[in-house]
Amino acid sequence: MALIAIENLVFAYGPKMPVILDGLSLSIEAGERVAILGGNGSGKTTLAHWIAGWLPRAAMNATSGAVLANGKAWPAWTALERAEAVQFVGQIPMQQLSGFAFTVYDELVFGPGNLGLEPDEIRKRADWALDICNLRHLVDRDPFTLSGGEQQRLSIAAALVMHPKALVLDEPTGNFDPESRDNLLDQINRLPSDLTIILCDMALKPALAIAKRFVLLDGGRIVADGGAQEILSHPRTSAIFGMPAVMEAALLLQQAGHWPAGEDLPLTFGRAQEQFGRITHVAG
Amino acid sequence: MIGQGNPHTGKTLLFVPGNSFIHRINPLTKLVGLLWLAATTFMLPPMGMAVVFIAAFAFGVIAGAGAVFVRRLVLTVTPFAIALFVIHGLLIKRPDMIDYGLISLSPGGLTYMAHILVRVAALLTASMLFVTTTHPAILLKSLDSHGISPGIAYLISSPLLLIEPFSARARAIRDAQQARGLDLNGSWKARIKAFPALLIPLVTLALSDLDQRASVLDGRAFRARPFRVVLDAPVDQPYERWLRRLLLLALPVQIGLLLWL
Repeated sequence: MALIAIENLVFAYGPKMPVILDGLSLSIEAGERVAILGGNGSGKTTLAHWIAGWLPRAAMNATSGAVLANGKAWPAWTALERAEAVQFVGQIPMQQLSGFAFTVYDELVFGPGNLGLEPDEIRKRADWALDICNLRHLVDRDPFTLSGGEQQRLSIAAALVMHPKALVLDEPTGNFDPESRDNLLDQINRLPSDLTIILCDMALKPALAIAKRFVLLDGGRIVADGGAQEILSHPRTSAIFGMPAVMEAALLLQQAGHWPAGEDLPLTFGRAQEQFGRITHVAG
Repeated sequence: MIGQGNPHTGKTLLFVPGNSFIHRINPLTKLVGLLWLAATTFMLPPMGMAVVFIAAFAFGVIAGAGAVFVRRLVLTVTPFAIALFVIHGLLIKRPDMIDYGLISLSPGGLTYMAHILVRVAALLTASMLFVTTTHPAILLKSLDSHGISPGIAYLISSPLLLIEPFSARARAIRDAQQARGLDLNGSWKARIKAFPALLIPLVTLALSDLDQRASVLDGRAFRARPFRVVLDAPVDQPYERWLRRLLLLALPVQIGLLLWL
């Protein structure tokens, strides 16, 4: 059974509002690392809210379809079950703080305290998350006085201490400089391999660093679902995201028929160097 | 992790780090004590209220919060004293008015003013003693560990924590609107006209934050169980529990006596 199964989901935020998700179907298995990619207004955040169980709520219901987690629709889950099943980290770090904690450490132990865990278990989880997200030097700081990047790391740590089955990250590196972004991606890559990670982003770099499977959203519909090569060679990809120059060059060579058949497009600069070297050697 | 002496207290808090015996009293005991004292000041004669004021001030000094006490008392009591002086000493006509050239003063009015002032000062110093020696984080842990609803604890913590980001956002909106040509330095009419342009985005964004934060709290299982597990809850001595029970019992009795007599 899929961890998350979305079946023909059609959703708008109100009766007279535009449709955000338009007949979307998607299945995510436990342990998968999936990137949901798309431009502005493609429906990524709304889809992330559905996957994380933040939707449906109050009057915000699907026009048709549903999201099932372990075969059960979200409204049938209790808050406690949902908190242990999936955690969501949004785009604006300050909005992810509980508003209940005067220190980073208290922010971390807030969730496990709500779960009613034993104090020793809470401490163990908090220590683990502090190390993973490199927050140990900030334990006594007021969460609201941290920088955006530090708050984002804290939000991820606060989600991880809940020991969820799945972690949904909505543009987690949106406000980061390249070095901090790479550090965070490295930390995310060090998370336990059985943790399902669903990354929603409009940048290719974080997605390529984390995910093995890529879902391309456009206008609330899935236009591509597959591996990196499939997404990179999709006609909408370069239009939406732009591409690193080496990849663009490889695509142009492929379109002109000069790229060797069966050769993958380069995902990293090192791989590009190696492949271009081989191609120019063959051509020479 | 935060201790009573932790320096990272945030600039919006009045808490003064320290390790005095008042800092070490369980926050719930201090809270009940403050409630009892507030009720008691309405029963005490002026001299009794003066004793409460002096005692609370002395404890504040012992706790290392003397400077904060003086600053707050001056800032709060001075304008209040001036207003009381004008109303009870000068404006309200009493039979005992004495002429001093241009002004007439009522000794009875001034005595009444002094009574009110001492009562306000006693209540203020007692409250100051509570807030300067109790970090809200420790109060929250104390409330949580005594099984008080997390919702009530949240009502205490969130305004204290969110005031700073809220102020920062208000400043950002003001700057953004000024950059778009909003006149905030002109006449008072222009400023009143500009007010909605500042208030509406602030309220809209605050509501959006509330919605988001509600989902965050829900996602972290807030109130999913009736009680939370609290780490490092403050020590609660048996004598403190008895003292709280005694004070809580005394409260309705005192209020009853006050209404009856």
